[in-house]
Amino acid sequence: MIKINTIEEAAFQTIRRGSTVIQEDVRNAFREAIEKETNGASRLGLQNTLKSIELAEKEDKPACPDTGWPIFYIKVGNEVEINGGMMALEEAVRNAVRRATRCGYLRKIMKHPLTGYDPGDNIGMNIPDFTYKFVPGRSIEISYVAKGGGSECFGGTRQRVVAFADGLAGIEKFVIDSFVESTRAGAICPPNILGVGFGGTANVAANLAKEAATLRQIGSHHPEPAIRKMEEDLTKAINDLSVGIMGTGGKTSVFAVNVEYAYTHIAGIVVATSSNCMVARRASSRINADGSVESLSCADWFGGR
Amino acid sequence: MAEYHLTAPLKEEDVTKLQCGDTVYLSGPCFTCRSKLQRYVFDEGHKLPFTPEDGSVLIHNGPIVVREGQEGSESAQDVPFNKYGPWKLMSFMPTSSIRFEKWGAASIRDWNLRLICGKTTMGTDTAEAMKKYKCVHVSPQSVSPLLWINSIKVESVDLFEEMGSIEAPWHFFLNELGPFVVDMDCDGNNYFDAIEEKVYENREKAYRELGIPEDFRYTRLYDNAGN
Repeated sequence: MIKINTIEEAAFQTIRRGSTVIQEDVRNAFREAIEKETNGASRLGLQNTLKSIELAEKEDKPACPDTGWPIFYIKVGNEVEINGGMMALEEAVRNAVRRATRCGYLRKIMKHPLTGYDPGDNIGMNIPDFTYKFVPGRSIEISYVAKGGGSECFGGTRQRVVAFADGLAGIEKFVIDSFVESTRAGAICPPNILGVGFGGTANVAANLAKEAATLRQIGSHHPEPAIRKMEEDLTKAINDLSVGIMGTGGKTSVFAVNVEYAYTHIAGIVVATSSNCMVARRASSRINADGSVESLSCADWFGGR
Repeated sequence: MAEYHLTAPLKEEDVTKLQCGDTVYLSGPCFTCRSKLQRYVFDEGHKLPFTPEDGSVLIHNGPIVVREGQEGSESAQDVPFNKYGPWKLMSFMPTSSIRFEKWGAASIRDWNLRLICGKTTMGTDTAEAMKKYKCVHVSPQSVSPLLWINSIKVESVDLFEEMGSIEAPWHFFLNELGPFVVDMDCDGNNYFDAIEEKVYENREKAYRELGIPEDFRYTRLYDNAGN
C-alpha cells in the first residue's frame, strides 16, 4: 500500500527537479548546437543559456521564471494500491504544486481566464492537468512537465485538417508553416523540441503532439521507419530555415522533431504541432509498492505506444 | 555591429546612436511591468504610484522574488509586507513585449522611456512612438536567468498587494545586465524583419527538400481561405 504522504513528497521533488534540473539530453543538444554554431552572438546565446541551466541546478532555482502550465503524466500500475485511492493521489499532487509554489520553485502563474483572479497557488479549474496511462505492475510513475507560455501562446501549438488527397506533403507543409509563423523574434524560445501529432480526433492529435514535445528524449525516434524518416527530414528542413536561438539567426532552430500518430477517419487527417522551449522542463519519478522512490531520466511515455 | 554599455537614466544621444543588431549591456535603475499594470494605468485611469524620470528603462518581466532569507521555505510568503523587502531575486527573464503592443506608445510617452527590454519585439504603433520620442527596444539572445540575477539588485516594489508579486512594478538597480540585441531603433527599423525575410526565403528551399511541389495547394475542406 503506497502512502499518500509518500506520493506528495515524491510529486514535490519531481516538480522541484523539473523546474531546476534540465535533463542531460537537453544539455547535450546545447553542446552540439554550440559546436556547430558559426554566428558569434548566437553561439554566446547558447553558451549563456547552458551556463544558466548549470547554475539553476547548483543553486536550486527555477531554470526559467516562466514555470508554465503544470502538467502531469501519470503511469498507473494495474495492481497498484494507494492509500486513499486515485482521488487521493490527485489531491496529493495538487498539494505538491501548492508547496512548490510557496517555496518559489513555481511562479504564481495560473489565473482565471476572464477575471484574471490569481489563486496564488497555481490551482484552479482543470489545472493542474492530469493524463493517465495504465501499465502492468504495482508502481506509479509521475512525470511533471512545465509548458511555457512562450511556446504555447505564440503559435507554437496549433492544428489543422489535411485531406487524404494532400497526404504527407500537406502534413509536412503545415509543420514547416506553423514553425515559421510562430517563431518570429524568438517568440517560442527556439531552438525548440517540436512535437507533431497526426490522426485521431483533434484532441488526440494535440495530445500526441504535446506529449511528443514534452516527454520524449532528444535523440529518440519513433520505431516505424516512415515516421522516423519524417522526424529526420523535418529536423533537417527546419534547421535549414536558420531561425536560430531566440529567432536571431543560427544553425540550430530545433533540437528535435518528435512525431506520433493515431489511426484516423477516412474523412481526413488532423495535424497538430506543439513546441517545447529550449529550456525544456520535465522530470519523472517512480514510486514502488514498498514506498521507495526513484528518479527516472526519462518518462518512457511512449514505451508501449 | 557595435557594443554599448549604457547607464540609466538614458540621454537622447545614448539611444539615437544605437542601430539594429548592436549589443547592449544595461546599468542603473529600471522598473518592470506586465499587462496588469498597463491596464490599471492606461485603461482604468489610475495613477502610477511613482514618477519615472526622463530616460527611464522599462523591462517587460514578471520575476520570481521572495523575501531574503526565506528562499526555499514554505513560509516565504507569510512574512509581513515591506516595500523594501529585503528581497531576493530567484529568477528573471524578460517576457514577450509584443503582447503589450496596445500600450507601447502610451508607455513611452507617459513614462518617459528611452529603452524597453523584453523578449520578442513590438509592433508598428510602438515603432512610431519610438521614432517620435527617441526610444529603443532590446531583446535577449539567450534564456539565462541564473546569469542575469547576479546583475540585478531588487530595491523596492509598488502596488504589491493590488498586483501580486509577478505583475507588480519592481524597481531594480542593474549592473551590466546583458547582452541584449537592439531589435528596434529610433528610426523605425526592426532587426527581426530582415531575419524573417531570410527565413521565408529558406522556407521555399525547405519545401523542396521535403518534396512538397511548388504548385502545392491544400484541398479546401472547410473554408475559402484554402484551409
